[in-house]
Amino acid sequence: MNTAMTLDSQVRQLVSLVDAENPFDMAFSEVLPRQLEAINERFQDRVHKIKLLKNRAETGAITQVRRMADVVPLLFAHTAYKSYPEGWLVEQKWDRLGRWLDTVSTNRVAPMSLDGIQGLDDWLGRLGEQGHYVSCSSGTTGKCAMMNATQVDLDFAGHALLRGLVFGGLAPNHDRRMISLGQVASTPRNRATGRPMTEALSAPGVEPFYPQVPPITIGGITEMVTLRKKMSDGTAKPGEVARYEAEAAARAKAIESAVQQAADALIESRHMKLHITGMLGPMYQVAELVRSKGYSAKDFSPENSAFWSGGLKRAVLPPDYRKFIFETLNLTTERICQAYGMQEISTTAIRCKAGRYHMAPWVMLLLLDESGDHLIEPTASGELEGRAAFFDLSLDGRWGGVISGDKIRATWEPCACGNRSPSVGEDVQRYADLASGDKIACAGTIDAYVRGVT
Amino acid sequence: MNQVTALDAVKPRAATPAPFFIRGRMVEGTEVRHKSRDLGVDFVTPKIDLDALIAPRTEPGPLFDVRLEEILDFLVETGQAMKRDKDGYLREAVNRISATNVLPRVMIDSQVRMAADYLNKRRLLEYAERNLGNVKLLDEWVPNVDSTGRRSFTRAFPPRLIHVLPGNSPMVSVQSIALGSMVKAVNLFKMGSSDPFMAVAILRAMLDVDPNHPVPRSISAVYWRGGDEAVERAIYRPQYFDKIVAWGGGDAITNVIKYLMPGLQLVSFDPKTSISMIGSEAFDSDEILDEVATRAAQDVGMSNQEACVCSRVLFVEGDRKQVDRFCERLHRKLVAQNAVSGKAPPLPRDLAEEVETFRMMDDDFGVWGIGDGSGLVVRSDEPVDFHPINKTANVVPVKTLKSALKYVNVATQTVGVYPPARQVELRDGLAGGGAQRVVRLGDAGGQSIGAPHDAMYIMHRFVHWIVHEDGFVSKA
Repeated sequence: MNTAMTLDSQVRQLVSLVDAENPFDMAFSEVLPRQLEAINERFQDRVHKIKLLKNRAETGAITQVRRMADVVPLLFAHTAYKSYPEGWLVEQKWDRLGRWLDTVSTNRVAPMSLDGIQGLDDWLGRLGEQGHYVSCSSGTTGKCAMMNATQVDLDFAGHALLRGLVFGGLAPNHDRRMISLGQVASTPRNRATGRPMTEALSAPGVEPFYPQVPPITIGGITEMVTLRKKMSDGTAKPGEVARYEAEAAARAKAIESAVQQAADALIESRHMKLHITGMLGPMYQVAELVRSKGYSAKDFSPENSAFWSGGLKRAVLPPDYRKFIFETLNLTTERICQAYGMQEISTTAIRCKAGRYHMAPWVMLLLLDESGDHLIEPTASGELEGRAAFFDLSLDGRWGGVISGDKIRATWEPCACGNRSPSVGEDVQRYADLASGDKIACAGTIDAYVRGVT
Repeated sequence: MNQVTALDAVKPRAATPAPFFIRGRMVEGTEVRHKSRDLGVDFVTPKIDLDALIAPRTEPGPLFDVRLEEILDFLVETGQAMKRDKDGYLREAVNRISATNVLPRVMIDSQVRMAADYLNKRRLLEYAERNLGNVKLLDEWVPNVDSTGRRSFTRAFPPRLIHVLPGNSPMVSVQSIALGSMVKAVNLFKMGSSDPFMAVAILRAMLDVDPNHPVPRSISAVYWRGGDEAVERAIYRPQYFDKIVAWGGGDAITNVIKYLMPGLQLVSFDPKTSISMIGSEAFDSDEILDEVATRAAQDVGMSNQEACVCSRVLFVEGDRKQVDRFCERLHRKLVAQNAVSGKAPPLPRDLAEEVETFRMMDDDFGVWGIGDGSGLVVRSDEPVDFHPINKTANVVPVKTLKSALKYVNVATQTVGVYPPARQVELRDGLAGGGAQRVVRLGDAGGQSIGAPHDAMYIMHRFVHWIVHEDGFVSKA
């Protein structure tokens, strides 16, 4: 059926732990040799398939993975999925983009007919027909990351999240209404990830709520990228800029409307058990609105639950934001599931009762120095600080090893929650946000001259 | 080893003291600890006494009535004191900066020597003459009678300046100090976290010459974290200063822009990218190609490509085969530089990875060398998305040099042209597109005295142009 599942292998054994009763209670010392064996298995298979991996292996002179340090040269920077020249996207050079995508994919992105392709959405659709489910996302630099995935990846991401929810303390009992807040970009990964959760939690006949706003399409994101490039080239006309500004204003309105609709849906469904999903920023805004309409915890079911992933994403919230959300929507720490992950891998780490994110046995946590070049060896006890990197053995359509932009505190000792897997402290920071901000040099680029298109 | 890294990350390291210089006096102190990601160490400074940074406008600046001649003499003696460095302060500053590893020590040493040499009386005077036309404007109210018979007196009056210094060159520090003194300004230098030492070390040399001279008394140099509102909101005000002289873009400039208002102007040295334009004449013979590659490598690799004048994108008139020959030669010349000036730091991992991706797509790109700081050449059909740094040259083949003009923009500073004769054919198009300086290939690091910088005469922008109108000249 697929590479990961047909190999009678360590990879398969570790990945299948997703269905174990508690995969998060395996001691690091026990899992490490199995992970190394599995990563080596993956490496031997993929080194001839993923061109960038072959390049990394040659540069790092790695032929075998025997210890954690051997994995480090094989990790991709999180920018690997945006290493194509932006001009190709803007000028719609799909054949070239296809050749680029091929270098970071497990399965060959074969040349295909490009007749009738009108834009990025069309191209992604055509790739989907070939079994390449490519998710795009705009990152901090504004350039879209393009990540190839197979059906196996999409299925696994959703399934793993559902299992994570159970570990996080939620019971999927088909007994509640799903309330989804805010806008999420429409990508294969985002569509696939939420589905099993929604199916397992929704009561029969109860429609999940999604705000009715125009979705953030990949095509829309690309238009912005195109305009920014034209502005830096100096070829954008003021009329185009004005049109873009109007669209940006409309998008801001849509976000406002999504908050409004979600608050109404919460109030309207307050007599049902609810499961609320979304980012922290919008969740706080919705809670504020619900409160301003005169509703609070006493009006909501004491069995409400919630799921959120990622940190504050630069949303500026008051220090007691959690308490405020809990006291508005009648939530408690036991009934929320919080996850930490990165879009480049499929598996998210789930927050335990002690407030730490736990690593699944099929994901190796590697702590690196700030440069990302050197491993910080795990210690049996204590907490170490550094740059997070992961190897997700479940990944099929692309390489599983990625370096993040996050500064974390990790420990390999058993957690206060009772689970023995390595865990990451709650205070995840981004290196990009930590930069001292006052380094000044006379050299720089035209990017500093472009205003407002980010 | 790795264990050590981990512990280091948690345990604070010893911090280096970075004293202040306030209106001619050294101020030592260790009250405030700062983190410098670029230096890789913490440094400690005195607590800033905001009041000490400000002189009321009712009080003329110490240099207002000092003649240019005397200021120049003092600057020259400062240069000599810098060379003597009798207490080793400059040496110490160099030690501290070279720990950042951005530039090798020999290179910083030579920049400090160049900085001392910059304080040359004849050249500084020439600089002022070229910037202002008539240097008497600095010392006197210069009379003029217009064609209608109106008489006026003009003076390039001393301004009150805040200089937000970049951290990437001792030359900029000494130049800012010299120009700020020549215009007789009240000067406040805000140092950067990547080098909170050099400006103060240079100013210390002044105290060796004469601790009570009005030049040091009109200068302060301090550090605060860029964007620190507690400081900036208090002092970035037209009641205290006329102009903020700032380098760079992004956060550095956004921080400053929000304080601009009537009476407080910005003199900005924007972030710049420099390029090269190489004509097909380069391929006339193998000797010429070698010569052109040598010059190109010089423009790319000087100061390890840290400065704005360093070439980053080279447009070459030729077919791919020819251009590849040039790339191969350019790479060799960049590597050869390492024997003299050392390697640049390696490329950041994400950049190195992007280049590796290009290497795999050999239909579209050519890559010579690796991203270890020893010299890297990337050939692409269009300029790459990233900003080439650490001795990286992006070579773009073009049919004609004129067709490369579309890549010129307001961030383009220096354009090195080969052969020199073709500068004339290109200069109007380059200037029209936004470029500010056209030079012969290989001469990007040269500078004619007092020439415009970033499309302005700096001293002309610094001074406060004041007129005294004296009515009509009587016809008697």
